[in-house]
Amino acid sequence: MKSQTDQLFYGLLAVTAAVFTYLISYVFLVAPIAQLQAGGLAQKIFYFHVPAAYAMYLCGTVCCVSSALYLANPTDTRDAIARSAAECAVVFGFMMLCSGPLWAKKAWGVYWTWDPRLTTTLLSVLVYVSVVVLRAFAGNGEAERKFASALGVLGTVNLPIIHYSVLKWGGNHPTVIGKGGGGLKSPAMTHALLMGFVAMTLLATILLWARARLALSVSRVARLEEQAIATGQLDY
Amino acid sequence: MTQTPSDSGTLTDPSARSTEFVPVTGGGETTSAAALLITAYVVMWALLLGFVLMSWRRQGRVETRISELEKALSTSGPQGKARD
Repeated sequence: MKSQTDQLFYGLLAVTAAVFTYLISYVFLVAPIAQLQAGGLAQKIFYFHVPAAYAMYLCGTVCCVSSALYLANPTDTRDAIARSAAECAVVFGFMMLCSGPLWAKKAWGVYWTWDPRLTTTLLSVLVYVSVVVLRAFAGNGEAERKFASALGVLGTVNLPIIHYSVLKWGGNHPTVIGKGGGGLKSPAMTHALLMGFVAMTLLATILLWARARLALSVSRVARLEEQAIATGQLDY
Repeated sequence: MTQTPSDSGTLTDPSARSTEFVPVTGGGETTSAAALLITAYVVMWALLLGFVLMSWRRQGRVETRISELEKALSTSGPQGKARD
């Protein structure tokens, strides 16, 4: 029989799947096509690209808070959350970095420019990649965990820079929502974007949950192996 | 005589090659928005599914390892727990 936590997890998974199904059908069947300057049909990438960026910010914030808490008082749970948040930030970061250039090819005629927002975003994703690589290959010791936590805090410092880079330094990247933006000129576009945010929030929660559980299990294996070595059940 | 690719399958006559580039207005679409849109969605879902699949398989392997270690330790004292 499944535990209450498992039931909650699978319930959340079902809700996420339903929201994504609705979102995809809404984006493709209902949301209108934008002007050619905005990429025309390719503008529909926006309904996943922007929520993916938001999900990366969300995971980055979780990574920063957990890392700071770990540095203050180290526990396996805090380390597991920080590590899984960095992994999820990388996944959402790559989703954003893959979808954006495909839209740019249509709207700008090129896949990539060294625009301030694009450059700072790439830098931020690379910081989270370095946290993941460090934790994957540098071992599971206290020093490695602390170093990765410090990097996790540092990576998040860059997130506000990404957000305000367009306002501060200009560049090609569109500013549609928020300060300086003209907004979405159709209620269907606004609805699709809001649903995108809901879907990505649910997805980020599920991925963080699953990866944190995995990271905790890995920590448990390490502790069990230490015990097994101490009791002579396992050779070092 | 100008040879076109459709005549012979390939452009083999050097005299038929372009010697100038002329700007046109209202030319056909060079990059299909639909193709870019589909590529973006496929790439995003592939990334996500790959990550989920990797996590699922790793969780299975880790749980098997925990069972093995618990079995081995069951005869020799208390079991290790994560520091909370």
